[in-house]
Formats: sequence, C-alpha cells, structure tokens
Amino acid sequence: MSRRKVTSLGAATLASTTPTDLVTGPADAAGTPPAGIGYFGRFGVDQRMIRAALAEALSHGGEYADLFFQHRVENRYVLEDGSVNRALTTVELGVGVRVVKGDQTGYGFTEDLTHEGVKLAARTAAAIADGPARPLPREFHAIADLPSRYSVKVRWEDVRPEKKLPLLTGLNEKTFAADPRVKKVNVTFADEASVVMIADSTGRIVEDAQPMTLLYLSCVAEEHGKREQNVYGVAGRSDIGFYTPERLDRVVREAVSRTTILFEAVQAPAGEMPVVLAAGSSGILLHEAIGHGMEADFNRKNVSIYSDKIGKPVARPFVNIVDEGTQGEARGALNVDDEGNAVGKTLLVQDGVLATYLHDAISAKHYGVKPTGNGRRESYQYAPMPRMRSTYMLPGPHKRDEIIASVKNGLYCTNFSNGQVQIGAGDFTFYVKNGYLIEDGRLTRPIKDVNIIGNGPKVLEKIDMVSDDLVIDEGGWTCGKDGQSVPVSQGIPTVRVASITVGGRNERS
Amino acid sequence: VSANASPELFAVAERCAGTARTKGASAVAARAYKVRDVTVQWRDGRLEQINEATTRGVGLQLYVDGRYAAVTSSDLRPEALDTFIGDSVAMTRTLAVDPFRSLPDPSLYAGQAGIDLGIDDPAYPTVTPEARRRLARELEDAARAVKGAEAILSVTTGFSDNRSESVRVHSNGFEGARVETSFWTSAQVSVKDADGRRPEDWAAAGVRFLAELPPAAVVGEEAAERALGRLGAMKAESGILPMVLENRAAGLLLGHLMGSLGGQSLQQKRSFLEGRRGQAIGSEGLTVTDDPLLLKGFGSRLYDAEGIAAHPLKVFEGGVLRNYYVDTYYGKKLKMAPTTGGSSNITWKLGGKSAAELVAGVGNGIQVTGFLGGNSNGTTGDFSLGVQGFRIRNGRIAEPVAEMNISGNHLELWKRLVAVGNDPYPYSSSRTPTLVFDGVQFAGR
Repeated sequence: MSRRKVTSLGAATLASTTPTDLVTGPADAAGTPPAGIGYFGRFGVDQRMIRAALAEALSHGGEYADLFFQHRVENRYVLEDGSVNRALTTVELGVGVRVVKGDQTGYGFTEDLTHEGVKLAARTAAAIADGPARPLPREFHAIADLPSRYSVKVRWEDVRPEKKLPLLTGLNEKTFAADPRVKKVNVTFADEASVVMIADSTGRIVEDAQPMTLLYLSCVAEEHGKREQNVYGVAGRSDIGFYTPERLDRVVREAVSRTTILFEAVQAPAGEMPVVLAAGSSGILLHEAIGHGMEADFNRKNVSIYSDKIGKPVARPFVNIVDEGTQGEARGALNVDDEGNAVGKTLLVQDGVLATYLHDAISAKHYGVKPTGNGRRESYQYAPMPRMRSTYMLPGPHKRDEIIASVKNGLYCTNFSNGQVQIGAGDFTFYVKNGYLIEDGRLTRPIKDVNIIGNGPKVLEKIDMVSDDLVIDEGGWTCGKDGQSVPVSQGIPTVRVASITVGGRNERS
Repeated sequence: VSANASPELFAVAERCAGTARTKGASAVAARAYKVRDVTVQWRDGRLEQINEATTRGVGLQLYVDGRYAAVTSSDLRPEALDTFIGDSVAMTRTLAVDPFRSLPDPSLYAGQAGIDLGIDDPAYPTVTPEARRRLARELEDAARAVKGAEAILSVTTGFSDNRSESVRVHSNGFEGARVETSFWTSAQVSVKDADGRRPEDWAAAGVRFLAELPPAAVVGEEAAERALGRLGAMKAESGILPMVLENRAAGLLLGHLMGSLGGQSLQQKRSFLEGRRGQAIGSEGLTVTDDPLLLKGFGSRLYDAEGIAAHPLKVFEGGVLRNYYVDTYYGKKLKMAPTTGGSSNITWKLGGKSAAELVAGVGNGIQVTGFLGGNSNGTTGDFSLGVQGFRIRNGRIAEPVAEMNISGNHLELWKRLVAVGNDPYPYSSSRTPTLVFDGVQFAGR
C-alpha cells in the first residue's frame, strides 16, 4: 500500500500494433471533425460531447474537471524455441472524467464513447463535490504548439508484422551463435501507438500521439550441469529505426555476457559495506531513495520522509538530481503530461540542497506553485497523480577508476531488476543481478542475486563520490504506484555509497 | 451449475467467436467480461477520492492455420470489432506455425464440481454511497482512538466493492460463466518518529459477502497499532537466526518458491524445480494444496483460465513435490498431462500452535512482519529479500527492526521449515499460516 516499486523488462505491460487501420483510418463518414477535435473525431467525439460532459462534471460544485480520451493499440510478439509463434494485441479505447475540489477527486470512466455514456461517467465523478453548478468556458481552444520530442519517422501502425518478426529471429540466431553454452532464448518485442486527448474546464484541448517500443532478450545457459539465466532489454519512445544493428548486437552481447558470467559468480557477503554503483541503470537508487519521496502527493499528505526538508541540505554539494521528460528517445519522455501540462526539467536536489517536489495539478495548487508536468496515469481508467519521468544524477567531480580504487572491501553493482521503497520510513531496496566484489581497490570475482537495503536520506548523505560518466539507461523500466504502472527512465554516473546494507550471505560456522 | 452472468455477455462472446471463424480461424476461445468497481478513499477526516466505473471488454485466442495469437479490445462497437477480428486473424497468419497450440482436449471440460462456491453476494447492489463513506470514516476513527494516537500524522482509509462477470465460449464445446463479488476495507497509518522518519503500516480485510466483513474498528485499530509498533525501528546485527514469518507476509515467500512450478519455466529450463517431482523440497511441514473449490475463497473457481474443470491439486506433501502447474500448451511441449496453468487458492496442512505460541517457542530470533523488495532467481532458487519486523528475545516480541534482509536458496530454506501455525491468512487466495524457519541468514548492521 505505501510501497512503490519499479521493475524492469519482464514486468512491463506494453505492446503494439496490428495491421488494423483503427488507428490510422480517416475521419468517419460524418465528415471532417470540428476544430480542436482531431484524432478522436472518428469515434464520434465532438465539442458538444465535451461541453455536455464537463457541464455534468461541474454540476455539483467541482472546481475543475477534465476528460482524458485515450486510444491505445499495443502489439507484442514472442519468440520461443526458435520461432515467433505467438502475438498478443491489446486495444483500449475509453475516456476518464475527473472532478477536483481542493485536494478531493471524483473519478469515473467509460468505454462507451456516446454522449450518454460519457455524461454518465461525468455524473459519477461529479459526486465528489456538493454545491451549485459551476459555469463552463465560452470557448474551447486546441493547444497546437506542443514540442515534438519522440523520434518517430514511421508510425508503428504503418509497420507490417513482416518487418518486425525478422528482428526477433535474427536475435535468436545471433544469441545461439554467440556462445555454445546458450540453451534457450526468448525474445519479446512490443510496439505501442497511444493517442491521448485532454479537454478541461479551463477550455484547453490537448492531443498527443505517444509511441513506445520495447525489446528484451532472455537467455538460459548451461555449464557442467549448472544453469543460469539473465536478460537484457531496451525501450524508448521511438520507431523501428530504434533497432540499429549496433543496438541489436549490444542486446545479444549483454544478454549472453550477463548470463554466462554467473557461472563464475559467488555470493556477496552480508552486512554493511561500501558500494559503488556503475553508471546507467544504477539510477534505480535515485528512483527509490529520493524520487518517490519527492512526489508531492505524499508531501501534501505529510507522509513522506521528505515532507519538511525543502531548502535543507540532504547531500554533498556535488550531488544534483533531476527528473525530466524532455529526452526524446527516453521511455520516460513526454510532450505533455496526462493533465495537459507542459513537461520540462525539475531539480529535486540542487548542489546538495533539496529543491523541488514533483507536482500534479492538485499538489501544485496546494503548494501555490506551477505544475511541473509530472501528472501521469496508466490509462483512461485512472486518475493522474505525481509520477517520475526520467530521473537521474548530473555528472560530478570524480573519475570512475578513482572511485573503484578508493574501496578496500566492497561491491561494484552493474545490473538491477527491481526496487521498492517505503515513503514514510524512507527504507528502500534494489535488487542486483550482476556485479563484482571490490578487493583492495580492484574488481575481482563476479557476484549475483543480492538485494541491497538502505534508508533514503541516510544514503543520500553517504554518496561521497560522483563520477563524470553519466549514462541514461536504455532499459524498459516500469514504475508502479497505487496500482498504476507508467514507463520511466533512469540514469546516474558512477557513484560511491560509503556504507549500505548488502543482503548477501556469510559462511555458516 | 451456471452463474448469473448477463445474457448479453454470452451474445458478445458468441458473436466474436463466430466472426473469428468466418474470418478464417479454425478454432477460437472467446471471453467477454464486465467489471464494476467502486472505491472510496478517506483521509484525515474527509473524502479524498471516489472512483466508480464499469469496464468491459473481450478477449480472443485465435488458432489460424496452425498459428496462434491472443487479442483483447475494449472497443465493442460492432463494426470496429469486426475489423479488429479480421485484422487480428490476418496478423496471426504472419506468425510461425506452432504444432503445440490447440484448445484443451474437450474431455478436460467435463467433471466440474456441481457446487456453489459462495463468491457472488446477492446483497451487492444494496451498498450505498453513504455506507461506503461511513465505513471509511469508522476505520479512521478507530485508528485515532488507540493508545499513543498522538503520534499519528495521517490516516488514509478505504472501502471498495467489486462485481465481476465473465463468460467463456470455445469453438470445441466449452461454455462457462463466472460471477464474483468482493468487499474490502483498508487503513494505512503514518506516525511521527523521533528522527524525522514517518513509518507507516496498514491493515486490510476482504470478503466475498458484505455481511462477513469484520468490524471497521478492528481493521482501523490494527493499522494504528502496527504503525505505532514501527516507532524506533533499527537494523539489528547481521547473523544466522530463527525466523518467525507472520501469516500475512508468508504468502510472498511461498509465491517465490511456487513461481518455479509453471510449465513454461520447466520447459524453458528456467526452473530449479525441474525434474524434482517426487523429491523432498522441504521439511515434513511443507504440505500445500491448490484448492479451487474452497468455499468463498479469492481464488475459487469451477474451471480454470483454459476452461479445464477445476480440481484440488496436491503441490507439496510432507515436503515432497507432487505436481507442477501445467497448461495444455506446455503440457504438449513437455509431454505431460495438463494439471492447470495457474494457481487458485493455496491451502496448508495447519499446525496446532498460534503465532504467539510459535514466537514463545523461539528463544532468540526475528519475527518478520513484512517484506520490502528483493527478488528470487527462479532458475537457481537463490533469493534475497528486504524485511522488517521485531526481535524475539526470550520467547517474547522485543524491539522493532527495519532495513534488514534475508537471503538463501529455496532448496535449503524450506528444509529449515520447523513449524507451521494454525492461523491461515484469510484475506488472500494464498492462505498461508505463520511459518517458523531455523537458521536464516539476516543482514543488517
């Protein structure tokens, strides 16, 4: 309940496109949709529907209302035992109606995009308030100047399955060819075309087409009767051009090496020790140790460990932590958030001082600040709340080699599968799939499968070295909060945590 | 036995199955569903959020020219569905032929238990908005009435009710319907600790029949007492100690073990339990049955996700692994008879002692009340999980511990299961009692 998780790859519920023309088809026979209603005109959505639904939504004294229309087509193709022998397609079409009064929210949704269906959902949401009806704006206007961040030349709905399937079979062949110890290969490829339209009681109408793709490769290897398995995955708001030969080669190389190195791996020890986190997916530390605790809904409710720390030093002066949604190809990138607000860059920690919470419209109003573009939701079935986008740490003054050399006995962690945090107590964990022991300043034996547990503010204080080698991870991270999953990105330069509890094993005496 | 699903759901499923056949599918399984969900969230003296909606959709498993795809849609406009199904059949033709794909053998549909599972409360429509708010308020009032409540920073409570109807139609003869209701109360309490931390804990209760909900006061009080119990939690020293695992947390650990019993894991060489049927995996105390016919259970069902008639399945018996979870597809690949592809209710052969008696029997150890993250490697059986709970000293619950971790391998851990409680957790399909393990590796200070 109070716990927020992030998982990579396997947990992602993504997917993609059939050769259907549902997504791309022209406006229906009724003719050109009225101004401001672009894409959703084909489903019978018009200004009259929007106006009637918002009027119903505000009929009981709500201060603000919005409609979130969504059409999402996801396709997932799976290769197992040498062939692409299954596909999974999901089509979602619906609208969510939200009514806000102060910090209070009423929410309803429907898949029935008729005037009556949408109005009924609005009537349900309206019940959060109790008072006289509020007026609607005279005019609705479309926001036309959204940034265009996603790197898409060819829309997924225009790519036939015949173009995608060779990606999977090619990876399968290369993976088996890479190492004779490989015994099983699974590849999952997903693409997604989602179009959203937000219409609100201030008269704004915003539309955004949000692509996504994801690919992951799981590999099982055998050596001397022992089996090991690992995965590597990539994801982004991109098109089929995302899958360059270099990227595909990297997927194979990483999946195989992350698996086969486990034959040499030993158990990490148990207890407190220095831990060096490699550049890239170690950004999971930031997501759990500070990101969730900075989501302003927890703070307006006074239940986050960061609730009274804005403006206070929380880390060394060379620690700067950012959450942003503007990195084009990143899985966490957005042109606009799910409340129709602009998405930019938010500084969580500036020069070691706690700077800004991540806001949705409700928390921004509560604190009297501008929304930060962090209002996100899983789909039209959910009310938005503050969520991360791409969370990372800026480069620092140290060098990677210098950081590793500084550790007498500790761990160097390179790959992770999942993490979790308790917002109020601040305790968090992240699970290490690959890494090395550090002995006398050198990487020695590989390690595997160990959970690391710490306390957010205490660990921030203990980050005492930050390298200059920032990497934003290309993996398919999915963040879960209150039952809603959203795609996110994360990154970090190489950092040292002076001491943290490693959940390994010691020798039994 | 036929559940009270609405006839229009059958009509939608049958229409979809017919369209798929017309468009070229040689076989098809169609599912249609309608779910009504209402949730009221209450925080610190007033409503925080209400959510109310009815969702619906269809799902189709398509078998086309020896190829297979599974598709779902919430766009039920007839002309859109026709286009969607036609396009999906065409897409399926682009895939590789898979000789192992088929609907289940129809003989497996026969023999459904002719019983009422007790999962559909006829009183469902009588829940009123006022009753939901009253329950949510009572939960908070109870939480704020406990001793030590002045340390409480915030209380969030909730009431939710749900009614779900689904029907399933297969082109080789299966037809089934399922209607179920559930009602949940929950409370989450945050408290102020000395050093700026705001530890939180929760309590919840869920039932199939509204009239069987425990009093809101019980759940509210439990949440507050649990949260207050977290005050001053510290990590203890690393060491190898006995672990008393609370019933509500134990299902997660068992889930990690059972996650490696699935047909896909076995066939894809990702299971450390492959080839171990008939072998001792745990101690004598590990006796676990998958029981789909449990009255009022959250996992109760007359047929499984493939339409196969549901029967109790022995999973572990006196520590010995008896059965895997195998569906039609992986059964063919593995040359094994299908059991069922997914778990229903997990039930245990219970021991004779209460949680308190089990704690008293452990002189010095740690009671684990919850997990925080971590994972388990299904291929090797290695696990490492964050934990919180209490030290046990001289057979009594002592100071709270947090920011700790347990680790090991499932093949060793379950042989160290030394006692099983008499207290199955009632609010989950995994009805796990308190479990006691010897010699568990804890990491902390």
